[in-house]
Amino acid sequence: MIVGEQKSIAEIKNIVSPYKKVLILGCGTCVKTCFAGGEDEVAVLASALRLAFKKDGRRIEVEEFTVERQCEDEFVQESAEAIARNESVLSLACGAGVQAIARRYEKTPVLPGVNTTFLGVLEKHGLFTEECSGCGDCQLAVFGAVCPFTRCAKKLLNGPCGGSQEGKCEVDPDTECAWSLIIYRLKLLGQLDNLRAYVPPKNWCASGACGPRKLIREDHVL
Amino acid sequence: MGKQFIPKITVFHCINVFGDGEFLLPPEKQDAAVEFIKLPCSSMVKDVFLLRAFESGADAVLVLVCPEGACRYVEGNLRAKKRVGWVKNLLDEIGLDGGRLALFNVAADDAAAVEQIIVQTLSQLADLGPSPAA
Repeated sequence: MIVGEQKSIAEIKNIVSPYKKVLILGCGTCVKTCFAGGEDEVAVLASALRLAFKKDGRRIEVEEFTVERQCEDEFVQESAEAIARNESVLSLACGAGVQAIARRYEKTPVLPGVNTTFLGVLEKHGLFTEECSGCGDCQLAVFGAVCPFTRCAKKLLNGPCGGSQEGKCEVDPDTECAWSLIIYRLKLLGQLDNLRAYVPPKNWCASGACGPRKLIREDHVL
Repeated sequence: MGKQFIPKITVFHCINVFGDGEFLLPPEKQDAAVEFIKLPCSSMVKDVFLLRAFESGADAVLVLVCPEGACRYVEGNLRAKKRVGWVKNLLDEIGLDGGRLALFNVAADDAAAVEQIIVQTLSQLADLGPSPAA
């Protein structure tokens, strides 16, 4: 899932301060799971903003609405009436959701309330870890399903750096060494020979270095 | 003369701390407005409930939970403690003073402890004054 973190109240307050009527628009998919922008977070932020502005002697109308996914136009349309009632939209979706809302409602200021952080997994309740960089050229089959491009601080593709200690990364001792995990997993799978194969440098174009990527599924396009 | 400050306290409590009984304030504290909101378990107290209590005019909000290790639902009081900590930080960020929100572990039916907590909170409110967002 896409993992994001809500911006600080101070930053959000600053972003919405030019407006008297703000719609806080939540997204019920990824950012809901990481407690950044689902219905509950929308309610908490709305209440916090009302209190913050009231404390400053300013009155602001804050409306709350959450759609299933802000990155899909079908769901985005459900927010049309709520958006029309307000001067601006504070989107608690990832950056893609913010832009999808702005694309549909081009005369309405659409503001980000979340810092989109990474593609990750829910390791345990409340703990999210980055596991994928969306590089566009997945080699997990070689690495025992542990991504060195994302999980190795040095992004090494042909073996460990030699600096890890007791399976922990020398860059951050709280992080497991990706190469320790790769070797452990390849041992379990009986695939240690994978380590002998040379992995060529990545094609950075596939990971976005040649401009924004586009995926077309012709069989779904009319 | 300025308007007299009548402190308003909202108390969220687990029904296992105390149940339906009307809680009586000591006579000298009768001028405070104390509202009790009972919950089947303190873990039911969501962040937004605490904030909305402040939006509704509370000067202080208390959450009374069972002692650690004594929660009927094992970890409800621990979850409540985490949430209260989170909202206290949020209140500090807003500038409302996280000290206006507090969690206390109280043994079942310990009315004297509850009374003491409320008296202590009223005393703190005398110093803090009314909530700037009430």
